[in-house]
Formats: sequence, C-alpha cells, structure tokens
Amino acid sequence: MSTVELSGPAAPHVGPFFAGLARDPIIWLIVAIFAVGALTSEYYLTALNLENLMRNIAVIGLLSLGMTVVLLTGRIDLSVAALMIFSIIVGVVVMAKLGPALGERWLVRGNTYAGPIVPVVLIALSTGAAVGAINGIGVAYFKVASFIMTLVTLTALRGFNYVLTNGHPYYLKSPFYSWIGDAKIGALPVSFLIFLAVLFVLMVFINGTVRGGRFYAIGGNEKAALYAGIKTQRYVVLAFVISGVCAAIAGIVFTARLKSVDAPLAAGYELTAIAIAVIGGTALSGGVGSPWRTLLGAVAFASGLNLLAIWGVGTWYQNLAIGVVLIVSVGLSKMSRRKANR
Amino acid sequence: MTTLDDKVAEPAAAARLAGPWRHLRAGDLSRVVVLICLVAVGQAIAPSFLSLANVHVILLAVAAIGIMAFGMTLVVITGEIDLSIAGIAILSCVVGGLLIPTGSATLVIGATLATGLAVGLVNGVLVAAFGIPSLIATLGMLGIARALGNIFSGGQALYPEPIAAYLWLGRGDLLGVPVPVVLLLLLGAAAIILTNYSVFGRALYAAGGNVRAAELSGINVVGVRATVFMISGVCAALAGMLESARLSYINPAGLEGMELSVLAVTVLGGAALTGGVGSIGGTLVAALIIGIVNNILNQLGVSLYLQQVVTAAVILAVVLPGMRHRGIAK
Repeated sequence: MSTVELSGPAAPHVGPFFAGLARDPIIWLIVAIFAVGALTSEYYLTALNLENLMRNIAVIGLLSLGMTVVLLTGRIDLSVAALMIFSIIVGVVVMAKLGPALGERWLVRGNTYAGPIVPVVLIALSTGAAVGAINGIGVAYFKVASFIMTLVTLTALRGFNYVLTNGHPYYLKSPFYSWIGDAKIGALPVSFLIFLAVLFVLMVFINGTVRGGRFYAIGGNEKAALYAGIKTQRYVVLAFVISGVCAAIAGIVFTARLKSVDAPLAAGYELTAIAIAVIGGTALSGGVGSPWRTLLGAVAFASGLNLLAIWGVGTWYQNLAIGVVLIVSVGLSKMSRRKANR
Repeated sequence: MTTLDDKVAEPAAAARLAGPWRHLRAGDLSRVVVLICLVAVGQAIAPSFLSLANVHVILLAVAAIGIMAFGMTLVVITGEIDLSIAGIAILSCVVGGLLIPTGSATLVIGATLATGLAVGLVNGVLVAAFGIPSLIATLGMLGIARALGNIFSGGQALYPEPIAAYLWLGRGDLLGVPVPVVLLLLLGAAAIILTNYSVFGRALYAAGGNVRAAELSGINVVGVRATVFMISGVCAALAGMLESARLSYINPAGLEGMELSVLAVTVLGGAALTGGVGSIGGTLVAALIIGIVNNILNQLGVSLYLQQVVTAAVILAVVLPGMRHRGIAK
C-alpha cells in the first residue's frame, strides 16, 4: 500500500500518533468537508454554526461512544435510542408520581414538570445503567444473541415510552436543565463539554488501562480471552452498562436542548449510532475501533450533514447521502484491508 | 455481528428425527405448544375466537409481515441479514404507483415486483461480491430506498384506486379466503418446498453453516447469497403491495420499523443469526403466534403500545430456553 512511503523518513519529527493521523482517510474527509464548507458558504465556519454542529455531535456522539464499546466486544446494542428517551421519561414520571406523596405538586399545568431536576437526572442515569445491565446479563449469562436481546428491549422500551407518557410530551422547566441545553462555557456548549468528558473517561479506561484493553481481547478472540482467565461475561455486562449510561447521558443532553421529552423522539438513532461507529472504523466483528476514532466518525457524520443542510439539500437527499456514504466507506475500508492482507 | 469471521458460538444441538419428520427440530415443538396454548386462551376469552371471520382477521393481519419474514428467513439461514425490506417495500410501491396513470395493472404490479428484485440484487451484489457486511449494506440500502421513495413520490401518497387488480390483491378473496392469506399460504408452501426438498435448499443451509466447506464442495456461495437477497426483495415488494392495496393508498412514509418486527418473527421462528439454522415452517408458526397474541390483546382492549411490550416478552420467553446450552453468544 502507498502508506509505506508516508510512514518513511519523511516525517521523523512527528510523533507516531500524528503520523498515524495524517495517514487516516477520515481526517482528510473531515478536512475536505470543512474546506468545502468554508469555500461554498459564508455561514459554515461562523461561531453560531459551529456551536450548532457541536450540539449535534454531542447527542449522536454519546450514543455512538456507548455503541463502540459494545461493538468492541463483538456485540451490538439496538436499544440505545429507545433507552435514551425511556430513561428521561422514567425520571420525570417517577418524580411526578412522587411529588404528591411528599405534599408537593411538581407536575403543573400543560404537562410541565417544574420540580427538582437533579433527582430526574440521577434516576435517568440509573435507569440507563439498569437497562444496560439487563441487556448485558441476557447476552452474557442467558446466551441470547445481542441483536435479539436488544431488539426485544428496543421494542419493549418503545412501548413503555408511549404507555408512560400516554402519548403526550412532558415539558421540562428548570434553569439547570436549560443551562445544560443552552449554556456555553467559553466558546464550547455545555452539552459538547459533557460529551468530551465522557470521551475522555472512555479513552482513559479503554485505551489506557489493562481492564479496558480486555474489551479488545474479548472482541478479538473470545475463547482465547476466556482461557486467558478474563471473566468475559462480566466485561460483556459492563460494556452494555456503559452503553446504557451513555444513552441516558445522550438523552439528558438531547431533552435539555428541546426542554421536553416525547415518546416518538429519536426514532432510528440506533442506526445512526452504528453508522457513526462504523464510519469511525469500528468493526462489527469486534476487536477493532476506539472511542477516539468514533469521535472522528461523529465529527465527519455531523459536519457532512450540516454542510448538506447549509447548502439547502433536503432531508430526503441527506438520507440518501448517508446511505451511500455508509456503504461506500465500509466498502473502501474492506478493499484496502484486503489489499493489505495480500 | 456474529456472522462474520470466527463462529465462536456453536449452534444449538439439533435433535433430528427420522423419516418425513427429519426437518423438524426440538424448538419447533415448543413453538407449536405455545401456539396451541394461545389458541386455547383465545377461545376461553372469546367464544368467537375460532370463528372463520376472526381466523381471517388474524391471518390478514400477519400476511404482509409473514411474507416478508419468509424472505428474511432465507437470508438469515445463509448467515446474513436484510434490514432494507421496509425501504424496498416503500420504493417498489412508489415506483409501481407512479405508473398508475397508465391504467395497466400488469405494468404497475410488474414494476413493483421488478423494483423489489432489482434492489434485492444490488443488496446481493454488495454483500456477496463486494464483501460488505450485510448489516451495513442493507442498513445503508434502507436509508437509500426510503429516501428514493420520498424523492420519486415528492413525499405525496399515491392512490391505486383506478387499478382494480391491484386493489383485489389486498381486498379481494378467492373461494371466500382473502387474497393476502392465500398468497401467504401459497408462498409458505413454495418456500418450504424450496428449502426442504430442492438442491437450492441444501446449498442454502450449507452456505450458512460453513462457508468454506460449502465452497469446497462446489456450491456457488456468492450465487446463493445474491439469490436470497433477490427473493427477500421480491417478498418485501409483494408485502408492501398487499398493505398498500388493503389501505388503498401508497404511503411513502409507511412501514416504519417494519424490518425489526419482521426480524423478530424470523428469530421467534427459530432462525439463528449465526446462519445455517432456521425454517419457513417455524417462521409461519411464529407469525401466527404474534398475530394471535395481538388479536387476544385487541379483544381484551389492551392499548397498542402495551401490546409492543407484551410482544417483546413473548419473543424473549420463546427464544430464551433454547439459548442456555450455547457456548458463547454474541
């Protein structure tokens, strides 16, 4: 492959990280998108648009980070989009029901929740972890294929979302929640900072610790990992719990921006999350990929869509483009891998 | 996904019977028992449960999903997956629908089925020839087909009213049996013959069980893969047409999430996503289970959304017991 020349003595000063980066086609894709954006639209590189872009990246990025961890173990999690809405709905419904018992009225007129928001957030996070644990236990201990297990959770949670909300949206009125959704610290939106924090934690854990490295071992060769003494079942459960918590955080960030939660929201996001992880280079067969690369996938995906939207390309054509890019990017990486193996 | 490189998970040990029952597996019995129990429960709740009218209602409700699931079962047996079926159904119906002004039933129905075949062929080529994982190829195709359906129709519904033969597909009857039900049963019978009693059927299971061994025994694995995607595409187009005819309008935004419901029926029917395992009979029984559960819940006045939860529980209850014996599940 041509990459041999690039890694030669031409770049002796640059660390291996940046040398690897320069060889990565996705970096050039992102650079190309931003260059074309800057050349064709005066709005693309404005602060307002970049802010908007970062907020979009935060939601789909959080979902795909969790998905990446599950994919690393060779499993898949289809329940993330339903779970991100479900966890918030559970938080709001539990608190709204709890209010009268404590002599408070937190659910005011117009289906608006105006009670304390921190318990809602905490309940949402624990719901995410709990559903993730159920998925993980089903897959690791009861040996249900992850595709089926999480498909079942997806179906059940979508149903629960409608049952719990009665089909009406809940509106969330809270200064803290609005702060998560709207505020900026410096130039960066709070939601994007939350995403970066989760990314940092996952990068340190997955790529920086021995325990994190075991996800790769399981995805690479599960039997070998098992015989090497890794408690693979626990790590599989952990992967799904991480995915569930990431989904709950994505739900918080998403609903904080909308200041409401509604059952049909985020339909189909699970497929977007898979697409981003795959565009970032995560292999569906497990063992290949990283949170950092998923960030690149999310940036490429969101900035590409943002550019199409700025050009005034309709949603239908955007969806068409997503499908084509997904197939072509996987096809190209498959072909380059085949060449490398030859 | 599980289907790709190394198969860590061993498929459940298959207890095979002799003679004409050789195609049955242990799981088939539990599904049939569940089905009989459900019928008994239904009859206990509503005396009219087994009336001809209600049986037609149940079968009519699962006709489209069942036909799609036949195609999906073939794809899953080869160790692949087809997430694009809802997109194919929409795109095919829209392409056919655009020809309604010609007034020719042959043209409209032919174009619908041909589009399904063509998109299925593209899926097959992407997966079998280019080696793109089917999950990704058909996921991308789902988005592409849905988008094209919207673009071609301008997002507007199309009305097949002028084409009597088209409407007959969804609303007519043959000897008192609704046409979609006749098609469901006929296609089911054809698919059972195809999978159990044909050379292609043997190649199908061989390709799903062990690709390398199948190739070395002279089976054209690429051809088998491409063929099942084409069959799945045609099944999707036909199912979409039955639904459009029944509702008498072609909705470019319809069938949301249908691919996952169909997959659920297929899995409930005993097909393993690791490939090599699955049967059309099992899928048919699974479609009936889902139809009867929903019918009972409707009679009890349970909300549509709670039905989703119950359906999920039923799938898990049927699928779980067979899974414990496996080595590693992915």
